[in-house]
Amino acid sequence: MHIETIQLLADPVRLHIVDVLRSGEQSVNDIVGTVKIDQSGVSRHLRILHEGGFVDVRPDGQRRMYSLRPEPFRELDAWISGYRHLWGARLDRFGEALVRRQTAKVTSRKERKQR
Amino acid sequence: MTSAGPAAQRTITIERTYKADIADVWALWTTKEGFESWWGPEGFRVDVYELDARVGGALDYDMIADAPEQVEAMKRMGQAVSHKTHGTFTELRPRERLVLTHIIDFLPGVTPYESTLIAEFFPAGDRVRMVVTLHPMHDEMFTRMQVAGFTSQLTKLDRRFGATAG
Repeated sequence: MHIETIQLLADPVRLHIVDVLRSGEQSVNDIVGTVKIDQSGVSRHLRILHEGGFVDVRPDGQRRMYSLRPEPFRELDAWISGYRHLWGARLDRFGEALVRRQTAKVTSRKERKQR
Repeated sequence: MTSAGPAAQRTITIERTYKADIADVWALWTTKEGFESWWGPEGFRVDVYELDARVGGALDYDMIADAPEQVEAMKRMGQAVSHKTHGTFTELRPRERLVLTHIIDFLPGVTPYESTLIAEFFPAGDRVRMVVTLHPMHDEMFTRMQVAGFTSQLTKLDRRFGATAG
């Protein structure tokens, strides 16, 4: 997983554009209509997405049509599995902290009884 | 992973069932010593200086790299070894559900954004099922990793934790 891939998608507008393209190929105008920022902004983000390998572009008469490429999403998918493991490890620590907490409680209860 | 829509596809859900009292589970999220006892990515610890467990209440702490290799990685990246972190309990229903929102404002060149984590609790008998919903791209933990520059080591960590992760 390349950090660039994540950084590229960590932008709310680009994430939105990617969502819009999930339903299939779209023209810049269609994307502008949905994303609700001006065309130059959308074009800039599309260029970044294109350079990052997220989208393909093809001319259709006067229009430029954009669509998603599967490769970075496969990469993301693999990465998310790893991320899931990391959070799994974190919840293991949660479980261990829980056991320590319960043990401490039982111990102090016993000590109280002995007094 | 759910598939209800684009937003849902970007979240992941991790759940665990612990043999524990809901009061203890809740305390690990909503008390200073409880939170400090487990929060933080591998190689980091936290020092909480404010934890106000009510809606709109603050959760402010220092996230501190404390494993030698993490300290080294942070230094190499020119990052501070300790970082003030600001969070808020944006939703809170005692012993049922909490939503923790962090402000990610320490990424150079990146507009500050919010990272949201939802934790839900379902007690049943002597067990509690805990469901944590995350947005990996905007998760505080991942962002820390990214800053520290060791996301490339994810694979290594996977191998290490593979046996226990679920």
